Amino acid sequence: MSRRAIVLWLIESLIGFAVFFGGALLLAYWIGRSDWSALPGWLSDNAWLLPLVVGVVTAPLVIIEPLWRYAVHRWELSGDVVYARSGWLSREWVFVPVSRIQTVDKAQGWFERALRLATVEIRTASHAGSSTIKGLDYDVAAGFAAELARRAQELRDDAT
Amino acid sequence: MPGGHPAPPGATPYGNTGEPRRLSPRVLLIDPIRMLPGLLLPLAGVLVAGGFSPASFGWAALGVAGSVVYAIVRWATFTYRVSGDRLELTRALVSRSVRTIPLERVRGIDITAPPLHRLLHLAVLKLDTGAGGGEQEGELDALTVEEAENLRAVLLARRAVTPSRRPEGSAAEPEAAALYGAGTPDGVARDDAAPAHERAYGPAPDAVPGQVSGHHDERVVGRVPRSWLRYGPLSGAYLLTPFALLAGAVGLFFQVSGELRVDARTAREVFAWVEDRPALLVAAAVLLVLAMPVVGGVMYAVFNWDFTLRTRDGYLVAERGLVTRRTVSLERRRIRGYELVDGLIERRFNVVRLWAVVTGLGDSETRGQLLPVAPRTFATTVASDAVGPFSAPLRRHPPQARRRRLFRAITPWLAVAAAAVLLGWEVAALAAVVLALLGIPLGLDRYRSLGHAYDGKRLSVRSGSLRRAQAVVERRAVVGWTLRQTVFQRTSGVLTVVAGVGAGTGGYPAIDTGETQGVEFAAEVTPDWIRPFLAPPAQADTQ
Repeated sequence: MSRRAIVLWLIESLIGFAVFFGGALLLAYWIGRSDWSALPGWLSDNAWLLPLVVGVVTAPLVIIEPLWRYAVHRWELSGDVVYARSGWLSREWVFVPVSRIQTVDKAQGWFERALRLATVEIRTASHAGSSTIKGLDYDVAAGFAAELARRAQELRDDAT
Repeated sequence: MPGGHPAPPGATPYGNTGEPRRLSPRVLLIDPIRMLPGLLLPLAGVLVAGGFSPASFGWAALGVAGSVVYAIVRWATFTYRVSGDRLELTRALVSRSVRTIPLERVRGIDITAPPLHRLLHLAVLKLDTGAGGGEQEGELDALTVEEAENLRAVLLARRAVTPSRRPEGSAAEPEAAALYGAGTPDGVARDDAAPAHERAYGPAPDAVPGQVSGHHDERVVGRVPRSWLRYGPLSGAYLLTPFALLAGAVGLFFQVSGELRVDARTAREVFAWVEDRPALLVAAAVLLVLAMPVVGGVMYAVFNWDFTLRTRDGYLVAERGLVTRRTVSLERRRIRGYELVDGLIERRFNVVRLWAVVTGLGDSETRGQLLPVAPRTFATTVASDAVGPFSAPLRRHPPQARRRRLFRAITPWLAVAAAAVLLGWEVAALAAVVLALLGIPLGLDRYRSLGHAYDGKRLSVRSGSLRRAQAVVERRAVVGWTLRQTVFQRTSGVLTVVAGVGAGTGGYPAIDTGETQGVEFAAEVTPDWIRPFLAPPAQADTQ
């Protein structure tokens, strides 16, 4: 992975944090305002605690997640098998033999373009045999995708 | 019309560049009847608006005549022909359009004979080209039965000799038989399956597996005797039919009431009248519930009447139905495995349902079905005969998996119960506690279901309780592996191994295998893909 991927994940986790915190704020505001009798009194009185707790719990994760991801995410092409590891709390290992690859896509989102990063999407006939490798340096991704496409062409096995 | 003369595949009447042909003219007898429901209301409208005057009858008659003429013109302008390795459907009603379907893309052929068609000895032929979304690319409605059978033979034989798809360089016409005659591509010898058939004979004497019939390479793999239709309601299929019928009736009522200008006031009066008679409502509800198994069973019997599975020239052909007789042909080369499904009640009676795992099959739920509810021994015999044998015993998953199954079956309901108690809803809390208690046997059973195995050629995974499914998939169909481990799985030391398969549901998971067990499973099936990564990195990750 490129080091700049950390920045990408940081931006993404910041957006996630904003959504979560904003949602908690809205919910707290709604609970505090409503006089729905089914809600017990202690709940609406202490509604302001909710965004506070959400903020305190998730704020450190904004920093931890990108670093953790950077430590976990790996990819490798050896012996004509693509191996990719991803996740942070949950882990995912994907093994895709080049001979079964149908398409190789290289994609760039807004932030990725700004950071000169790219995502390589490897598709087979099955979603469970497909892999998305995020946060690669653009040149690395381009080379990797071209190499994969070339090998896949050579090894194409129509068993599926 | 080449009535019933048994044209060998590829020969006349289609020739190499066949003459354009029309559908059977007998379909013209069906078309007006099929249009009738659509015409009824407008015609009634015309008559009512015209005050039943002679002129209004004239207009109505004109409408009927117009629709008949339309049907005739449509019939006269639609032609089809087999040209080389393509099927061309030409429609020249308003603008001329030609739809060309390359035969090599035909994945299955579906011949259906709805009641009216059967009366006139006609059938509808549909081509499945795997275009996605269950979309039919070609439909011929309707051909004579012989014509449909001939065309199927021609299409499938052509398809088999289409050079780009031909594995070997043989050129003889009956090569479809030669290619597939000696059993499945995996070399499943028929003789081996014979003693197993005998065993399956036991429970029902009229079950006829493995009978050879005259046509080409045709052979009956399994025939479901009518006495087994009694298992139908066990599957839960069609149990909701009474409700669907009711919903349909209500929908129709609202539609008709709109047409007949029944105003809201009358409707409200009717509802008020019913509301005043609760006994009537209760009786109706009881009647509906009682009708569930009966109607469900009848529907099941109607759809699965005389279910017969045959092999024919490299295809598996499933035929079924009492009123509408449906024939589905699946190309054996595209079958990657099978799935045995049984529900909670079905397991008590030791019966299962059988589906084929096929690449690129639209509507696989109905088309891929190889057997309706049938005794397990019979189903496994048919599966090993039609697809391939699998006998390796399933390996159990570690005890942590049982703990996780139990936890997941119980705690959500306990949480609901706790929340209900906090909010002071006693009844809801009680219900949640009962559900949590039911979660204990459910969780244990879900654990018992878990298993995976590999016998050198096929791998198998099983999971589920209320709907337990065991998938058996060929090794060569696996296109990749995904190993997943959530935080909770990591603390328990288990992971989920998903075999990616370009057929069926796309992925078949072995849930909660032990860490080394799961990795070993993947490495056992496809050693070259996994082993190189095992030594340093993956081993370290999975500890």
